[in-house]
Amino acid sequence: MNKESMCEKERRRLEKLNKFQLSHSYKKIGIIASITIFSLMIAKKFIDEPDWVKPILSGLLLVSMLLISLAKEKVEDEYIDSLRSQSYRFAFIVVIIYSLVQPLVNYGVGILFDETETLKGFDYFQVLFFMLVVQILVFYKLKRYNK
Amino acid sequence: MKNTLKVQRAIKDLTQDDLAKEMGVSRQTINSIEKGRYVPSTVLALKLSAIFGISVNEFFTLEDDD
Repeated sequence: MNKESMCEKERRRLEKLNKFQLSHSYKKIGIIASITIFSLMIAKKFIDEPDWVKPILSGLLLVSMLLISLAKEKVEDEYIDSLRSQSYRFAFIVVIIYSLVQPLVNYGVGILFDETETLKGFDYFQVLFFMLVVQILVFYKLKRYNK
Repeated sequence: MKNTLKVQRAIKDLTQDDLAKEMGVSRQTINSIEKGRYVPSTVLALKLSAIFGISVNEFFTLEDDD
């Protein structure tokens, strides 16, 4: 296999991966699952549950939100695709800035009240959850602007 | 970029919804093109040209800042 055909194959694989989307019905499944899991996470705070429940619920919540994010719209065309790209780009940049600035703000505010306050980062769930929330909200907001 | 889609659509007495169905896109796409918020791809521009029977140049014109 020569270098050119390998590059071509790689390019096509990347293009296929880039265009990957789920059918529209997954959106409903994602919404129902997200609401259910989110309610369970809130309910969990009032019930004594084993430690392994939290990471499982967090993981399931991220997966169900990813279903919403990847599900096609009823009519999925190039315009919707461009709105989707804009929302991913926006979410990516906002979350990076947020995760860099927010710990400093927390630290700054914390040190005013408690001198032993230490600089803490975010866990992966907070970052991914925030990124998915921003992406989904921005996408639907952009769609609504052009109704 | 300016376009005359709204005028052409009115001449042909087509609603945004009719045109969207004919082109296989969403109504929002037609609306955003008409309002100048979205510049369609060459494929969509050629589809418009085929549906209305006029050249792409008659639909779209460049502005000074383009």
